[in-house]
Amino acid sequence: MAEQNHEQLTESQLKYLRMERTKEMRIQMISFGLMIFLTFIAFALVALEIDKNFVIPIVIGLAFLQVVLQFYYFMHMKDKGHEFAKLFILVGMYFAIAFVVCFIMIVWIGNPI
Amino acid sequence: MAEIRYDVPNEQWPVHPEKATLEGRNKFVGFWTFLAGETVLFASLFATYLALKDQVPSQEHLVAADLYHLELAFVMTMFLLTSSLTSVFAVYHMRNNNFGKMQLWLGITVLLGAGFLALEIYEFVEYVKLGHTFRSSAFGSAFYFLIGTHGFHVIVGLIWITLLIIRNANRGLSVYTAAKVNTASLYWHFIDVVWVFIFTIVYLLGVL
Repeated sequence: MAEQNHEQLTESQLKYLRMERTKEMRIQMISFGLMIFLTFIAFALVALEIDKNFVIPIVIGLAFLQVVLQFYYFMHMKDKGHEFAKLFILVGMYFAIAFVVCFIMIVWIGNPI
Repeated sequence: MAEIRYDVPNEQWPVHPEKATLEGRNKFVGFWTFLAGETVLFASLFATYLALKDQVPSQEHLVAADLYHLELAFVMTMFLLTSSLTSVFAVYHMRNNNFGKMQLWLGITVLLGAGFLALEIYEFVEYVKLGHTFRSSAFGSAFYFLIGTHGFHVIVGLIWITLLIIRNANRGLSVYTAAKVNTASLYWHFIDVVWVFIFTIVYLLGVL
C-alpha cells in the first residue's frame, strides 16, 4: 500500500525519530514561553502608561515577532517543503500591510502626496 | 485507492503521516492558500476598524479607551495562546502514532477555545449594556465586525475539532485521519495569529 512505509523502520531508526520529535517539542515549548513573555511585556508596556510614541512601535513589533514564532514553530513553517506556504503567507501579508497603510493614509493622515 | 489502514504499527507509521497521501499533500497546499486568503480578509477588516476607530455620533457615546479592559483581553489571550500549544501537543502525538493522547490534547484545545469564546460573549454582552452596539456607531460596526469575524472562526474551529474527535473516536489513527487533524490544527494556530494582532491593535493600542 502506497500510504505506509514499505520498509519497516528498525528499532534504532524509530528511537532516533522519537528523539528528534522530543527535541522539536522542547523547541516548541521554548517558543511558547517566549510568546507568553512577549505578550506579558506588551501588556505591561501599555499598563505602565509610558509615552505613546515609544510604546506603539514596540508593541506592534512584538506582535510581528510573536506571529513569526507561531508560523515558524507552531505551524512548522521552518520545516522543509513549506516554500508554497511561505510564498502564500508573504503575499497575504503584503496585501494586509498595504490595506492598513492605505486606509490610515486616506482617513487619518490625509493626502500626503 | 487502496483501503485505509488503521492501527498501523509504529514501524510502519510514516515520518510525516499528514503528508503521506496525495490527498494529504493537496490538503496541505490548499489549506495554506486558504490561510493566505484569510489573511487578506482580516486585513481588510483591520483597515476598516483603524479607519473608523472612535468615530461615534455624539459626545456621550463611549469610545475605545472607555470600553476596553486590559485584564479581560489578557486572560483571553492566555486562553487562546495555551490552546495553540495544546494543539501542537496533539500533532506531536499524532506523529508519534499515539491516538489516545492526540484525542486528549484535542479535547483540551476545545475546552480552552470554549473558555475563550465564553469570555468574548461576556465582553460583548457587557458592551451592549453600555450602549456600544453594532448599530450605535461606525466604530461599533467596525469593532463587532472584526472581533465577530474572529469569534466566528473560533466557533467554526471548535465545531470542526469536536467533530474530528467524535468521528475518529471509534476508528483511530491512519494517514487519512492524520491529515485531517493536521489541517484543523493549522486552522487553530491561524486563529491565534489573528488574535495576536487583535489584542495588539484593537485592545492595547485602544486603551493607550
